[in-house]
Amino acid sequence: MAVSGFEGFEKRLELRFFDDTQITNNNPMGLRLIDFESLDQVLNQVQCTVVSAVANRSFDAYVLSESSLFVYPTKIIIKTCGTTQLLKSIRPLIHLARNLNLTLRACRYSRGSFIFPNSQPFPYTSFKDEVVVVEDSLPKSLRYRKASVITPSSSSSRDWHVFTASVDVESDEPVVVVEVCMTELDRVNARSFFRRKGDDKNSDSAGKEMTRLSGIDMINANAFICDFAFDPCGYSMNGVDGERYSTIHVTPEDGFSYASFECGLSLYDDGHLDVSEVLSRAIDVFRPGSVSIATTYGGEDYNHEVSKRVERVLAKKLGLKCRSRLMDEFPGSGTVVYQSFTPRRK
Amino acid sequence: MGANVSSPDQKFPVTDIHSRKPWAPRFEPEISPYKVNSPFVVEIKNKNQWKSRLDALKDTNKLLVIEFTAKWCGPCKSLEPKLDELAAKYTDVEFVKVDVDVLMSVWMEYKLHTLPGIVFMKRGQEIDRVVGVKFDELERKLHRYTQSFY
Repeated sequence: MAVSGFEGFEKRLELRFFDDTQITNNNPMGLRLIDFESLDQVLNQVQCTVVSAVANRSFDAYVLSESSLFVYPTKIIIKTCGTTQLLKSIRPLIHLARNLNLTLRACRYSRGSFIFPNSQPFPYTSFKDEVVVVEDSLPKSLRYRKASVITPSSSSSRDWHVFTASVDVESDEPVVVVEVCMTELDRVNARSFFRRKGDDKNSDSAGKEMTRLSGIDMINANAFICDFAFDPCGYSMNGVDGERYSTIHVTPEDGFSYASFECGLSLYDDGHLDVSEVLSRAIDVFRPGSVSIATTYGGEDYNHEVSKRVERVLAKKLGLKCRSRLMDEFPGSGTVVYQSFTPRRK
Repeated sequence: MGANVSSPDQKFPVTDIHSRKPWAPRFEPEISPYKVNSPFVVEIKNKNQWKSRLDALKDTNKLLVIEFTAKWCGPCKSLEPKLDELAAKYTDVEFVKVDVDVLMSVWMEYKLHTLPGIVFMKRGQEIDRVVGVKFDELERKLHRYTQSFY
């Protein structure tokens, strides 16, 4: 394990605003009306910048120098890695939303466990400090708050940290968010994410090649992929498929290799996307030595069967054994199920 | 015309061990002071205008670049200044802009579900497209297709 290197594990921030039909009738675009310069300034404070972007009728998707940003009419998701100052974006974003008459409804901040925790700046050196900073940035109207560290008993598993705050105690968002964190990537597979020496490609076409070579384009053939290859290595992509977003970020260097896959699905999907199938394909791209999956059920419809099915599919197709499955409930923000996997016979 | 974007040196450098180069948008308009200030990217507002544009260019070897954009597309706004810059630079190329909500039927014709979409046309045929904000690819293709052998 390297002494220090690039931190792949992301910090994730999600802000949800009230979908007041009076407001959205006059302003169906909601947060998407925030002008690009303002967004860019917020990202500056976080210490990252936009490298590519795409949009469809449902949302805007930005690939950042340090991960991704998704803007829906009433929801913003920012995910950043490295040593970025993600929490600095909370106040400016709430302010920008207020200018559009949008009121904050809920906030969620989550992350795994850093590979290089000592390389993080304050307050990211301790989850307790992060929670203090988040709480300070939120209005008092978000009364229902909870901070939790999910700790699997298995020694090879990493902790998962979640903080949520919400105006309501009930959560009715029919969205399921799946966050997959992978470490110890297969070295051969990871090679796809290094720029080839002497290639005269630019980052956009090098990214496209990585998407194809690695098989990422087959995870969801329906999705439009906005990809980017970093120099000398590293890869990011956002997938856009109707209302659904997906995103992959890869740090391929041996010693601290990391890849993440995240997607947001609606519970009322027509079912053409089997979550287990999608996850299995995504994880197969990297063949990691260790995987964790945090699934957030936004509504009240948490279903054990989905988690069990994921475990069955991963065991059968990828030989990954589930070492731990833990669950926690968050007022106004749904249920989180956290599973840890390692290959059989490890 | 200058874009309202902070200069690259105002951006925080990406702090990491392997010095991944941060990509900074390069907005550097180079308009000669002696040129007339005409709109370089013309917005097409109706089907007749669209048809007559296409017809006028069909028998020439002129490259036509169509930018598909929409009011709901945030990323499109980051592309606008770059396109203005390129349009000013490549004066032999015709640049037009289509708002997909205004000319929805045209948008359907090109089967673009994500924006922004830049379509390159020559002699009435599509020769290439760039979907999403991709400055390097855009410039590279523009350079390629303005070569006379295309």
